[in-house]
Amino acid sequence: MIPVIETERLVLRALDAGDLPAEERYWASDRSRFTGGPKAPHEVWRIVAAMLGHWMLRGYGFWAVEEKATGAYCGRVGCWHPGEWPEAEIGWTLMPEAEGRGIAAEAALAARAHAYRHFGWTTAISTIDAENTRSKALAARLGATFERMHAFPQGFALEVWRHPGPEALQ
Amino acid sequence: MIPTLKTERLVMRAPVEADAAVYAAFYADAQGSGNYGGPRRADEAYHVLCRDLGHWHLKGFGKWVVTLRDGTPVGGCGLVHPQGWPSHELTWWLLREQRGKGYATEASRAAIAFAHDTLGWPAVETHMRDENTGARRLAERLGGRKTRRETFPDGVTRDIFTLPRRAAGAAA
Repeated sequence: MIPVIETERLVLRALDAGDLPAEERYWASDRSRFTGGPKAPHEVWRIVAAMLGHWMLRGYGFWAVEEKATGAYCGRVGCWHPGEWPEAEIGWTLMPEAEGRGIAAEAALAARAHAYRHFGWTTAISTIDAENTRSKALAARLGATFERMHAFPQGFALEVWRHPGPEALQ
Repeated sequence: MIPTLKTERLVMRAPVEADAAVYAAFYADAQGSGNYGGPRRADEAYHVLCRDLGHWHLKGFGKWVVTLRDGTPVGGCGLVHPQGWPSHELTWWLLREQRGKGYATEASRAAIAFAHDTLGWPAVETHMRDENTGARRLAERLGGRKTRRETFPDGVTRDIFTLPRRAAGAAA
């Protein structure tokens, strides 16, 4: 049910139990501070379960990003719209060893194109912590622009970046 | 992929998007959800719903939403085993106004039978916090007995009960 997408260097596929050790590393690291971390391993399992359940509820969600050449787990990219989100977003989370090679951009472009073509999206946002400069640089590289701040019910606010719509990309 | 079970008065079926409402109602009730990590906001309850569905995907078993035969949701029941937890667990949750009618017992019996007959489990266990006397009473009503005590990854020590295929003396 979760589609597989191939790009030049990457495969976007369903998350599975084999990805948990890498996800546990991500959630134990300082990198996770922009996405609600750090989290203990038993919490990470529940996060991955929720990401899979999101697919079953919404029909879209986060893919695992795997490098074709090595089979290495590079992180996650996907289409995310849990209950409290203002609208559907393109999200990404990269393992440190996958950074600096354009992998997140390649994966996010594929996910966005898939959302426009197959999930019927007419627009997309990315919500980003104001201090997460790397993530904001990537959003800009994808053609997104800062739109506003959004206050979440959990008590924090994130920047909303607006992606170009499907017409603008044709 | 998620099977539907039917009992005399209940239907146990896969959670769906529309169940976000019953999850939200359950977790909005601080008293009713206190033993389940509640109260939680509606957006947090949505995450629980996501997680419950993802559990089926990862493990091949999980929690059903429990409805009356007319489709009215009353809560949930099922079998869960989050990674790192020392045992699997029969679990249930009911809206407060649906308690005291034997629904948790009825759904639990169907889930226990499913564990044995479909999943091929040799035994079904459940566990609860010491202060959760309601869960303890239900485990005993199902014929369960305490078999061990463990400290869980969240730091809480809980009694673990083993539940029989059918309560002693229960009708076939």
